[in-house]
This record gives sequence, structure tokens and C-alpha cells, in this order.
Amino acid sequence: MSYLPVVETDRLSFAYGTRPILREMALAVPPGSIYGFLGPNGAGKSTTLRLLLGLLRAPAGTVRLFGHDLARHRVALLGRVGALIENPSLYDHLSGLANLEVTRRLRGLARGRSEEVLALVGLTEAAHRPVREYSLGMRQRLGLGLALLPDPDLLILDEPTNGLDPNGIIDMRELLRRLQQEQGKTILLSSHLISEIERVATHVGIIQHGQLVFQGGMAELHNRQVARRHIVIETDCAATCCHLLPAGLGEATVASAGTLLLPYQSREQLAKVARHLVLAGQPLYQLSCRQPTLEETFLHLTETSPVL
Amino acid sequence: MSFDLSAPSPMTQWWRCHLADWLKLRRTLALWLALGGGALPVVLNFLIVYFRGEKLLAAGQNPWAKYIHMSWQTASILLLPLFLILLTSLLVAIENRATAWKHLYALPVGRGAVLSSKLLVLLQLNLLAQVVYVVLLLASGKLLGLLRPDLLFAAHPVPLAGVVTMLAHSYLATLGVLGIQYVAALWWRSFALPFAFGIGGLVAALTLLRWEHVDYLPYAAPTQVLYLLSKDAQGVLTVQPGIALAEWCSLGWFAGALLLGYGLLSRWKTAD
Repeated sequence: MSYLPVVETDRLSFAYGTRPILREMALAVPPGSIYGFLGPNGAGKSTTLRLLLGLLRAPAGTVRLFGHDLARHRVALLGRVGALIENPSLYDHLSGLANLEVTRRLRGLARGRSEEVLALVGLTEAAHRPVREYSLGMRQRLGLGLALLPDPDLLILDEPTNGLDPNGIIDMRELLRRLQQEQGKTILLSSHLISEIERVATHVGIIQHGQLVFQGGMAELHNRQVARRHIVIETDCAATCCHLLPAGLGEATVASAGTLLLPYQSREQLAKVARHLVLAGQPLYQLSCRQPTLEETFLHLTETSPVL
Repeated sequence: MSFDLSAPSPMTQWWRCHLADWLKLRRTLALWLALGGGALPVVLNFLIVYFRGEKLLAAGQNPWAKYIHMSWQTASILLLPLFLILLTSLLVAIENRATAWKHLYALPVGRGAVLSSKLLVLLQLNLLAQVVYVVLLLASGKLLGLLRPDLLFAAHPVPLAGVVTMLAHSYLATLGVLGIQYVAALWWRSFALPFAFGIGGLVAALTLLRWEHVDYLPYAAPTQVLYLLSKDAQGVLTVQPGIALAEWCSLGWFAGALLLGYGLLSRWKTAD
């Protein structure tokens, strides 16, 4: 099995006029992964995806898809890529089937493929209705259908759950999992919904101010969460307790008048903290170990992390 | 990672774009405009001649040349440029409304194929509209022959050769406007701006119709080719041989607009 990244950028930079959007981005999407591309609004997610599809020209850096330079082999490479960028591009005056047929013809695919894809995204019954009558969720599903039409090896999806109801989101998640696990597709998925990425992604890239601040497997991200575990001490006077604890137990910080935080080291450290405070006559209402959520880790990374 | 890097040939890409473009035309105003737009000048002149024919046509003479000239004049001066301005704006608006440029340019077809395919659709719709116009015009003359036998339409043959030659001249004369308007519609990506630009061009051309260099104005070319129409001593429709200066200029504008437009669009226009 090859581990050459399906998507790879090298020192990819982009600016709108004098305003820099991306700075020396080095993205690497492993084959067969669901790569969650996270970042706050305006961080450069959509610009990155547009560059990956050749919709924008990068003044510096390179984009490689399947190991080949996109600038040199754009047409051949895009034949194996399906994409949904922001809102789906749909012709409202045409039916759902006709919309797929337009793209099927453009891609030179076999007849009958549009009907297969309509069934895959659950729109067979609405196939002949004009798209202007579709709900937001149906439009999103048809947009996904357009991306799935060529049975692509790489799917690039920008906020694909936009407009979907909870059932639609679950269906979308299941579909993406199935495509990855059963068919080995590589899926690059951008979203601002951290919980959604957490549920479906195998790998994560976090972008902030046009720079990648984290990239790796979900396990690696979980390790970071574990590394940032804290002991939470509920007492009467956090400031007094702070001075009572020996330096060897870690650097304590006062979170509030009655709450003290201490970086977690081990179970033994927890026991020592309890013993010290009880011996010093301090009341101990609660002693717990708390792991930050992915959202907190994300915020921590986007606020403090150095650029990769 | 093994990967087939062979891309479809430019001709294949272009043909795929063209098939898709025709499918997009279903149920659009652009298609209906091309199919039905030619009816308006024909119907207007048919009614005028039906009710006032004896005052407009010389008694006892071949009526075809006068009838065709009247109708062509109505069509060429205002309606034909207006049709071209509307058609180009409507065709490009199909992609604009669907925010489809980003989708199109992320497909395995080149930008040249996408843009040239649409240009060919415009040329085809323009031709279709003008052919429909000519067919309706000749059919209306035949109908006048039945309804008003005193006007002598039935007594003289249909001047098919002259009309077809005039159709070719008229078609050449429209290419300049079509090229300019197509580039304007692609550049502005809106319906209103290229439409307003075209109306401005048309008004300028109509204002300058008496100017000695009017042949160089693309929006005046459909009017200028009207001077090629005449009739011989027997009253039979004739068309002057050769390509007029206005037609050469129209071709020049067409080529210039497309070359400049392609350069500007590929350099400056993103697929937003």
C-alpha cells in the first residue's frame, strides 16, 4: 500500500492583492483517510480548497494530487476528483436528473451513472422535479451527487453538512464513512463544526491565519488533549492552597476564588495533592481530573500554537 | 501511486462542453428568444402589408423585394442588435445564476473548451434565429399571396437566392456585436451591466448612422448591410456581390474582442 499523500502542498502561498491569505502551507492528506480541515471563518480553508482544484492560481508553492503536479496535469488529475465547494452549483430551471446529466456529459461518463448517483444520495423520487423546488437539504445532497458522479478517488467537500437537518447530517456521515471504509476513497472535508469532524475524521488539519497549526491523525490530537489534562481542586481559598502545594507537584493556577488548576501528571500526584491540602487543614470539596474537549484543544491550538 | 495521466483531447473536452451546454438550454429564455424572436418583425410587417399593402407596394409589380426590404429594415436597425445583446446576457446568466463557474472549472475540461463551446452555442442560436426569421418572412409572403391575391405575391417566385445571400451578409454583420457582448457578459458576470453596455453601444450607433465612418461601428453593421439590398429593372430582389466594409469591420471586432477577452479573462478572472 502506498503512503504517498493523495493531496500534498509545498510552501503554498496566496494573497488577495496585498492581503496574505495563505502562508507556506504544507498540507498532506494520506490515502484512504477522511481528513478534517478545521479552522475559524476567514482562516483560509475555502481558499486552500480552491487552490487544490486549480480554481485559483498560487503565486508561490505547489499543489500535488496523487503525486503529480496539478499545474502541469490539471485536466487529467481533476478527472479523479469530485468536489463540492461552498453552495452546490445547480441549474434551477433543470431537474435534478438533468443537473447530473450536465456534469455527466462534461465528464464523458457512461449513461446510467446519473441514476445510480441519484439513488446513492436518496433523490430518485425527486429526479424529475425542477431543482428550484428542492429544499436546502435536497440541494446539498444533489451537490454531493455531482461530486460523487465520477466515482472519484479523492472527494473535496467544503462544509457538506450545510443546510442538512440532523438526520441528513447522520446520513451524510454514514455515507462518507462507507465511501472511505468500503471503497477506500480519500475525503478532504472542511468544516467549522468541530464535533462533526471529531465523529468522522481519521486525520485533522487545523488552519489559523492562513497557516497550518496542527496536522496529524486523530490519535495524535487526542494525545494532545490527554497532555493538557488538569487536576481541578475545589476548596475555600484557592490562593492559600496555591502557596501550600510544593513546586514538585506542578505549577498551580488560580481559576477562581475557590478553584485551583494543576497540570495532571499521574495518579500518585493526585494522591499527594489531596494529602498536602488535608494535612494543611484546607477543606477539599472536589478533586477531579479533567480532559479538555476537542473544541478547547482547537481553540488552544488556534490561539497559541506555532506554525508547522 | 500508479495514475493514468492521459487527459481527454481538447476536441473531446470541447465536444463534451458543447453537449452539456445544449442540455442547459432546456426551458431557458435564451432558447425561446432564438426560436421566437424573429417572429416580431415578420408579424409587424405582415399586418402592415395586409391592411395597407395597396398603398405601400407598387401596383402590378413584383412585391417581394419591397416586402423583404421593409421587414429586414425593421429587424436590422433595432431588433437584431437588441436580440444579440439579450441573447449573450441570457446565455452567460445561466452559469451566473447557478454560481456554476467554480463547478465548471473544477471539472476535467479546459477553460478554453468551456468558453469556446458557449461561443459556438451563441453562434448557433444566432444562426437559428436568423434562419427562423427568414423562413417566417417567406412564409408570411406566401400567406399574403393567399389572403391578398391582389398584391401579387403568388404571381412571382420567392426570391430564395437573394434572401439566403442577404442572410449570410446579415449574419456576418452581427458577429462583431456578438463577440463584444459575449466578452462583456463574461467579464461582468451579471445580466444588467453587459445589457446596459450593449444598449449604450446601440444608441451610440443609431445616433451616428449618418457619420461617414459608421461602417467601423459594430452596433451599426446590421443596419449598414441593408444598403446591399436592391432590386433590378424587373423588380426582382438583388443583393450586391462581395463583402461590405461593415462586415469586414464586424469580423475584425469579433476576432479582436475574443482574443482580447480571452487574454483578459484567463489572466484576471477567477472562478468565483
